[in-house]
Amino acid sequence: MTLRPCPHEKEVVALLARGHYPQACPAELRTHVSACRSCADLALVTRAFQTARTESAAAAHLASPGLLWWRAQLRRRNAAVERIGKPILGAQIFALSVSLLFAAVFLATQATHGLRWLSWLQQLQKTQFPQASSLHLEALWPSTLIHSGWSPMVLIPILATLALLSGVVIYLASEKQ
Amino acid sequence: MDTMDSDAFAGFYQRSARPLWAYLARVSGDPALADDLMQESYVRYLCAALPASYATEGEVAARRYLFRIATNLLRDHWRRPRPTSIDDLPEELFAATSNSAQADSQAILGPALAQMRPRDRQLLWLAHAEGYSHREIADVTGLASASIRLLLFRARRKIARLLQNQNQTQLRLQTQQAALENTTSAPTQRSQP
Repeated sequence: MTLRPCPHEKEVVALLARGHYPQACPAELRTHVSACRSCADLALVTRAFQTARTESAAAAHLASPGLLWWRAQLRRRNAAVERIGKPILGAQIFALSVSLLFAAVFLATQATHGLRWLSWLQQLQKTQFPQASSLHLEALWPSTLIHSGWSPMVLIPILATLALLSGVVIYLASEKQ
Repeated sequence: MDTMDSDAFAGFYQRSARPLWAYLARVSGDPALADDLMQESYVRYLCAALPASYATEGEVAARRYLFRIATNLLRDHWRRPRPTSIDDLPEELFAATSNSAQADSQAILGPALAQMRPRDRQLLWLAHAEGYSHREIADVTGLASASIRLLLFRARRKIARLLQNQNQTQLRLQTQQAALENTTSAPTQRSQP
């Protein structure tokens, strides 16, 4: 298939666009269109499409522009809220990560100091309250905890951190919902 | 970058909605889909900022931008996997909701359009129904401006052949029907005194 534009094509297109073809078309151009395959195709197709456009446009059932305007406003607002929410969520994640890091460092230092505190407490108890030397603090803790080797001074901050984190997670989840 | 106000949009909608619906309905072959896509096109149009060419070309640019959104939505619809293809939809679906004049036009153009590829339908509609230039069609469809001419030429030749065949078939049927009517009415005329 070769692409050879007819020199009269622009003229025919202009007449078709104005709706002047074939009534207001010069006789010689009409003769040319009937003889030229390219122009004949152009005229046939354009007239068929123009008719279809007029008829389809008349059959359209249009929604109210106000409704579309309102829907667009709603979508815009939601997009804006989402756009604003993104940095806030990032900041929350960052704050949570920093808190977790600090908690881990704190727990690590407390784990080493915890045992010292215990010995210091026992020493204090022996020197300041010698009458209470029979007082055994470990008796207050559950036996399973003592046998597992976990120090209560380590366990309490862990539980406190877990409670704090679950609170944060619940808050974030409810906010997202 | 600017957006329209409510009143300006109402005016623009009144002027552009019917041609846009005609484009979507004829290219997709599904008026219900055209309704949905048209609404979505306007909502997206309003959510987006107006094109830069709006300042110089005004509503022409806005209209072209709207057709571009609609074309992209149509393309997305065709790409989306679904149980039935839009090309397999029966033509009766469209003809059922049309009046007699529209049915005539649909009877001529509908079967021919149904045999064309979706992209060719878009190109043909934009060029011959909307009167867009090759550059404008390239802007709307996202195709290269240089390839529009060739694609359009091929599509036009193909649909012209289909329309001619259809016209010839219709003409032959009409001739046969007229001949049949003549043969049935002739004995009754002869039998009259």
